[in-house]
Amino acid sequence: MVAATDDLSDPPDSAPSSSRASEATVPIRAQSFAPLARLGELGSVAQASVPGLYAWAVTVSPAAWSKGAPWVAKVAAIAGLLSLAGSAALEARSPRRARAVSVWGLGLTSSIVWLATPASLAPTHLDAARGITGIVGWALFAYAAAAPALKRPADSPLQLEAALKPRAKTRRGDMIYVAAGAIVAFALQLVGWRVLVPERALLVRLTTLAVGIAVLGASTDVALARHAKRLPVAGRLRRRVFVTWTLAAAFVLLAGLLFWAVQ
Amino acid sequence: MHAFDVIAVLMIIGAAAAFGVGASALARADDLVAAYWLVVGVVSVRGAVQIARSGVRG
Repeated sequence: MVAATDDLSDPPDSAPSSSRASEATVPIRAQSFAPLARLGELGSVAQASVPGLYAWAVTVSPAAWSKGAPWVAKVAAIAGLLSLAGSAALEARSPRRARAVSVWGLGLTSSIVWLATPASLAPTHLDAARGITGIVGWALFAYAAAAPALKRPADSPLQLEAALKPRAKTRRGDMIYVAAGAIVAFALQLVGWRVLVPERALLVRLTTLAVGIAVLGASTDVALARHAKRLPVAGRLRRRVFVTWTLAAAFVLLAGLLFWAVQ
Repeated sequence: MHAFDVIAVLMIIGAAAAFGVGASALARADDLVAAYWLVVGVVSVRGAVQIARSGVRG
């Protein structure tokens, strides 16, 4: 975790807590986290260009390079990309102009692209998942463009806290359970990608996501339950629960078999 | 490993298979089959967790 020195430093008269703070943190120079430090030194316009680029890639470029799109759309799309790059370069000299170039440049050129290719926004051409991710991308761009830049304090070197001590050790074998659950959850995501009806495709995606999370959660619960302390009467309780749930599963299976046999 | 833990693991494997069959049926628009296998999966997952956690303190 990265934190500012000012937040962690103690007053001179609190020697014990000061020593604790020095134990808990390891000062490092900003150069050690060069990408993070550089990101912190960027202005708000340059930071906003990252979600702007994402929104452009998801919603503008597919429309500009769709089948039958006119050259105006392609030129406008490239101009939008250049406005993002130009605004980031201009920010050091004139932040206000850079913000205008970024917001108005990308907004206007994107509008031109969509006006030039109206068919790309038709429900039959617009994929639901791409539409949702596009909305998220534009919302992030608007938020980043409106918000002040994220900056670290000027004269405070970054400090890295020492690794937190875990409350409990991860037992051997737990990772196998979690990894197996994750593999099953991932495998379930491979089902149903050829569904043509959008509503059905969305339903399949939501269902596979939900059942994947359920399998992952259950495998984690089973892994953790192996190490839990049990009551003295746990054996009797477990037998009762085992019988109850085995009967429930058998009942559901038999009901299905009977139903199909009758049909 | 305790026998009940093995059963819980087997039930999760069964639930994963049932979920897979259910999701495939859902993709084919075979809603009745999908609902059935998803219910089988839910019962198996719930049963696995209950069996694994039964008798645990707290």
